[in-house]
Amino acid sequence: MKNRNLKKWLSAALACTMAAGLLAGCGGGSDEATTNEDGEVVIEFGIHVANPQEQESVTYNIVQAFNEKYDGQYQVDFRAADTETHSKNMQLAAADGTLPEIFWIEASEAPEYSESGLLLDVSDFLSENPEIQEALGGMENAFTDDNGVYGLPYQSNVQGFFYNKAVFDEAGVAYPTADTTWDEFLEMVNSLKAAGVTPIAIGSKNSNYAMWEFNTFLERYGWTENIDSILDGSEKFNNEDLVKCYEKLKALADAGAFPENIATIEYFDAKQLFDSGEAAMFGSGQWDCAEFDENIGENIGFWWGPKFTDSEYNQDTGMRVPSAPLGVSAAVGEDDQVKEAVYAFLQFYYGEEAATMSYEGSIFPAANYDGLTASDTQYAMNAMLNEINLGYESPASAPDLTVSSAVQTALYDSMFGVMQGTYEPAAALDQIDAALANSN
Amino acid sequence: MYWLSKKRYKIGLLIPTLLVYCVFIILPIIIAVGYSFTKYSGIGKARFNGLDNYIRLFGDRFFWISLKNTMIIFVLAFTLLLVLSFLIALLLNNKLKGNDFSKALIFSPAIIAPIIVGIIWTYILDPSVGVINGFLDAIGASDLKQMWIGGDTLSPYSIAFIYFWQQLGYLVTIFIAGLKMIPEDVLEAAQIDGATGAQKVRYVIIPMMRTTISTVAVLIITGVFKIFEIVQQTTGGGPNHLSETLVTYSYSMTFTSGEYGYGMSLATVTFIISLIITGIYSFLTREKERGAK
Repeated sequence: MKNRNLKKWLSAALACTMAAGLLAGCGGGSDEATTNEDGEVVIEFGIHVANPQEQESVTYNIVQAFNEKYDGQYQVDFRAADTETHSKNMQLAAADGTLPEIFWIEASEAPEYSESGLLLDVSDFLSENPEIQEALGGMENAFTDDNGVYGLPYQSNVQGFFYNKAVFDEAGVAYPTADTTWDEFLEMVNSLKAAGVTPIAIGSKNSNYAMWEFNTFLERYGWTENIDSILDGSEKFNNEDLVKCYEKLKALADAGAFPENIATIEYFDAKQLFDSGEAAMFGSGQWDCAEFDENIGENIGFWWGPKFTDSEYNQDTGMRVPSAPLGVSAAVGEDDQVKEAVYAFLQFYYGEEAATMSYEGSIFPAANYDGLTASDTQYAMNAMLNEINLGYESPASAPDLTVSSAVQTALYDSMFGVMQGTYEPAAALDQIDAALANSN
Repeated sequence: MYWLSKKRYKIGLLIPTLLVYCVFIILPIIIAVGYSFTKYSGIGKARFNGLDNYIRLFGDRFFWISLKNTMIIFVLAFTLLLVLSFLIALLLNNKLKGNDFSKALIFSPAIIAPIIVGIIWTYILDPSVGVINGFLDAIGASDLKQMWIGGDTLSPYSIAFIYFWQQLGYLVTIFIAGLKMIPEDVLEAAQIDGATGAQKVRYVIIPMMRTTISTVAVLIITGVFKIFEIVQQTTGGGPNHLSETLVTYSYSMTFTSGEYGYGMSLATVTFIISLIITGIYSFLTREKERGAK
């Protein structure tokens, strides 16, 4: 009997210990110390790749350089996950108040974070650092609302068509130039197709965001001029200009410009087609420069895209735009020590030393300083600089980043729908109008 | 064991399980249903919007496409899996040469992670680089090439077949276990009475296997409504949502479009449809079981 009682009490004690352990586990985190055992103020950097060292090596190196420079004072740690998981994690962290001090935000979601009061206004950081504000060249305006400056561009995105000169040479087709018109481009596509290569590598499976080269198409059909009136309901996406733009996508599809299996390959598969010389062109941005230097080398070229004679909008436009922003958690403003550390990091990240490191890694930094240039062996970056040196205007933000997530998804779906033949241009644009109506 | 039979001990032992069940199963369902009546982007606060999501859902073309695809997969997978897994189990229950090897071979797809299954079948079905179309090209039958995945017609049929391939071995194993439970003397008695093989199956084996058949059927129904990785890996729901199932479309709306409220209304409807189908099946089989007694 005594033995049985002892067992019962033991069981009860074990159960209580386990429950207490679980509760303790759940409750941890919110009260974490802001300094580590070395007395350094620790700040977390939420990043949208699972392995920053491999996938965002420039940012990784900048963070390491910062940690080295401020050894004993500040320490930046990554909270890393792939883009989709990162976005979900940030939403969950926002709900339970555990956002990292600094984090990469999906551009279409950033305004909602700001409206919900989750982001710190960093206007004071910019006014305290006028040289950085000048180096940003107004890019921060893309992330400004009534609450102030809620984000700073993570990088400067340069987007357009990469092309493989060797593939063009083999097909006997002239390279595209700044003056190449739409008709000439279509002819180019037909010639490449006839030569047995895939003219434009692109894939939509789980990657219909990979439409960067067509942002220039949208811009050259008046996206920036018209988007405000579309979003406030006085105009529609299904308008004469965008129908013309979408008709160009349809014409490309009809000409066989895209891989036959566009629906079953991803962005990375499409890039592989381009890397291996099976495709002549690939739409992407500066994040792929280092890879193309390695795989295509001096044969890589870069082009903004064709000019459209049936559009009345400015055709001398390129796509050097702010990428998705880095936001600072509003909670940072409540702790002077942490705020000081975060601002020290921002000062370093947008400073000249980090910008130099960016150039060395073939990434265009958000902050631009005089004298920065690519080396001779940075072929892809030099090809981009050739286009940038044309001096074309760029919009304040890439067209696809000017709308909410739901509308953005509908935009991607509609473009790929036309490219894959499941939509006619006008019907595709109706889908975006429907998404906008639902999101209002 | 006496002390365990006391009521308070039974309750004490049940409470932890019930708590876990409520917290991890019931509560999320209630929360999801709650969110389905809101407009919520995942950031900030959810805003109550009544039945708007459900009204939108019935006018959403892609909802009907994903429902149609789910039903195509359900009908095909249910029929093929239930019939063929039973027949294969009957075959493998005999003492044949190479029986164990065949069982292992048939079961092997069941131990492959669904995401890997998707990758394997993408290499087989892809219209450009897939094995099937490559083979058709090689034998000069290019006219027979199809968009097995990635087109606007065949994707749900292909997904149903992939699911069938993946689940077959698992269900065959359950049926074989059920067949082993049938007493040998009953089958011998039927044999002595002059029953043919087909008659033994119809009048002895099937009636005695009703519980196993019901279990397998419920597993297929619930499984079909959870197919996710295969679709994501083979087509990603594309082109343009044309190969979405209810689950993948709900995921797409929730996490890609950031429409949590609408996504939860899709999840709620999916849950209700699977409950109804399982309920109908359970009701029909229960009636038959009663009739058989």
